[in-house]
Amino acid sequence: MRALVIDDSRAMRRIVGAALEGLGYETRQAGHGREALDVLQEGWTPDLCTIDWNMPVMDGLQFVSAVRANPAWRRLTLMMVTSESEQGQIVRALAAGAHEYVIKPFTADALRDKLALLGMLPEEAVL
Amino acid sequence: MTAVQHPPLDTGERRRTGDARTLITSLIDPATVEAIAVDAWVALVGEEELLVPVPGDLPADTLSAWVDVVGPWTGSVVLTTGRQTAADLTRALLREAAPELLDHEDVADAFGEIANVVGGNVKAALPGPSTLGLPEVGPAPAVRHPEDVCRIDVLWRGQPLAVSVQGALPSLPTPHDNPHPNGASL
Repeated sequence: MRALVIDDSRAMRRIVGAALEGLGYETRQAGHGREALDVLQEGWTPDLCTIDWNMPVMDGLQFVSAVRANPAWRRLTLMMVTSESEQGQIVRALAAGAHEYVIKPFTADALRDKLALLGMLPEEAVL
Repeated sequence: MTAVQHPPLDTGERRRTGDARTLITSLIDPATVEAIAVDAWVALVGEEELLVPVPGDLPADTLSAWVDVVGPWTGSVVLTTGRQTAADLTRALLREAAPELLDHEDVADAFGEIANVVGGNVKAALPGPSTLGLPEVGPAPAVRHPEDVCRIDVLWRGQPLAVSVQGALPSLPTPHDNPHPNGASL
């Protein structure tokens, strides 16, 4: 399975990427929503996108809206991974089309649990 | 003939009362800030990485990372530590992905992300809705109103680090600050 890790922090991309790779994902990274759309448009289609909220150029909510506006990407699972933890913002992200919401800081186990709820654990992680 | 009712003299008192801002010390306490910082450390820096609530003297050469919060309470969540400690934090975050030689961008990115995570969770503990700015790194923003600060001082690996939740707005004028005590207007 493939995951696109979208975060403006290189350190956070490393942390999220390492956690996903530990579960068996093949990952790519993008530093903001626009860069992530470029990855999708070049034809690299992930099963999962993890998305920070506050990023320059294009933020996470704008990215979610852009993905949901394109029927070709309707099978993508979108998971917000962000320090934005106000209830209203969680509701906004889910209403825009995100499937799940993980609040930073999180542990690798918490990420795994969320993916299990979504049925997004690679086979090797389930065994 | 009826007497004309003049409005009461505007002394500015009512306006000052209406403008009263809530200080951060009535919205969050040091124990909450410390708990947020400890959670961030465990998740980002490592499970064995402890923040010890013991104040230490910050070195002369410090670096700060902060995020701004804009909402019913407006201010910044600022992390300050020595430059070497900020570099050590960066290595702890990046682990095996850390380059042999760290540059300022590496440190700004990692230290800024810690400020972002701590700041986002501080924001969640405050009345909302609020917006969170992107992390900034550099000399710490000035304290505008000394009473509008909630600060904790801790040690990480024996090195001092401060987390300060500080208001961005200066003190409101008190009646004594009125430059026109007789109500003269300009």
